[in-house]
Amino acid sequence: MSRIVRTAADIIYPFILIFGLYVVAHGHLTPGGGFQGGAVIATGGALVIVAYSYAEVREWLSKNVLMGQEVIGLVGFIGVALIAFAFGQVFFFNYLNASGSLFGIPVPYGINAGELNTGGFVPLMNFSVGCEVWGGLTLVILYMLSGLEKEGC
Amino acid sequence: MIEQIPHILVLLGLIASAILTYYFKDLLAATLAAGLFSFLISLEFYILQAPDVAISQAAIGAGLTTAIFIIAIGATGRFEGESS
Amino acid sequence: MKKMIVLFTSLLILSAFLGVMALTFTFGAPKMTDMDDYFLRFGQEQTGTNNQCTSVTFDFRGFDTLGESTVLFCAVIGVALIFRKMQAGEEYEDE
Repeated sequence: MSRIVRTAADIIYPFILIFGLYVVAHGHLTPGGGFQGGAVIATGGALVIVAYSYAEVREWLSKNVLMGQEVIGLVGFIGVALIAFAFGQVFFFNYLNASGSLFGIPVPYGINAGELNTGGFVPLMNFSVGCEVWGGLTLVILYMLSGLEKEGC
Repeated sequence: MIEQIPHILVLLGLIASAILTYYFKDLLAATLAAGLFSFLISLEFYILQAPDVAISQAAIGAGLTTAIFIIAIGATGRFEGESS
Repeated sequence: MKKMIVLFTSLLILSAFLGVMALTFTFGAPKMTDMDDYFLRFGQEQTGTNNQCTSVTFDFRGFDTLGESTVLFCAVIGVALIFRKMQAGEEYEDE
């Protein structure tokens, strides 16, 4: 692409990254969540991949790092749910809610202002799923672009 | 009644963009029409008060799917029956 | 020409149907509301989230999200297998 597109992509990409991380981190307070935030970040990655050529992008984004990010996301999701057995509860029980520790402030019923340090294990789940979707969807576009380079188009 | 007018316009735009996707022989233009359909359906989800689904539809449908289709068209051919 | 007339007539009927649906039926007034009432009443205290969509998808219906993550993982693995890097003497298998 031309120099204008590359400069615009350089300027816009940090803002897309910060917005996606905001959607992931505030998933238990505002609309959004892990899947949506990860998809927003992957769209920003697709913008950079489209603006530059594959040979340049391949030096910045490693396929092994993205695949490891995806594996860490899925394993972390299952692991956070499995820790509930250590508390003597069933699978997917929200053991951190109203416990007073990390993300453990109790929430009253009704309309309230919202506090970032609430939610039990829901923010941890959001970060796991966001990490997985970020890695997975960027990896799909990167692999398709590598197949296009191999055909010699 | 007056607040339903944008809703009706979005529905008509959905039908029009779907027909355009079907009738374009140029596959790149058809892909862009599909992206317009995706964007309009995310607007429809927002009007129906489902912002969660609207965010994921705008990111996946209008962003990633269009990019993947454009990459696939670049690898094969721009018109039907043509093999690059 | 005849196909076009049939197509546009059916589209006109469809758009009239959609317009009537959008004008008469109201969204947000379902008939069976037992589960909705339970989630809206106890969801905030039991999961600690103000966003009820997230409290349903990640806590009450956590198995759905687990399946969705597994499906996405398998899809990316499939794409990586299709576009994998070929070895030096390796070729695609023909029919």
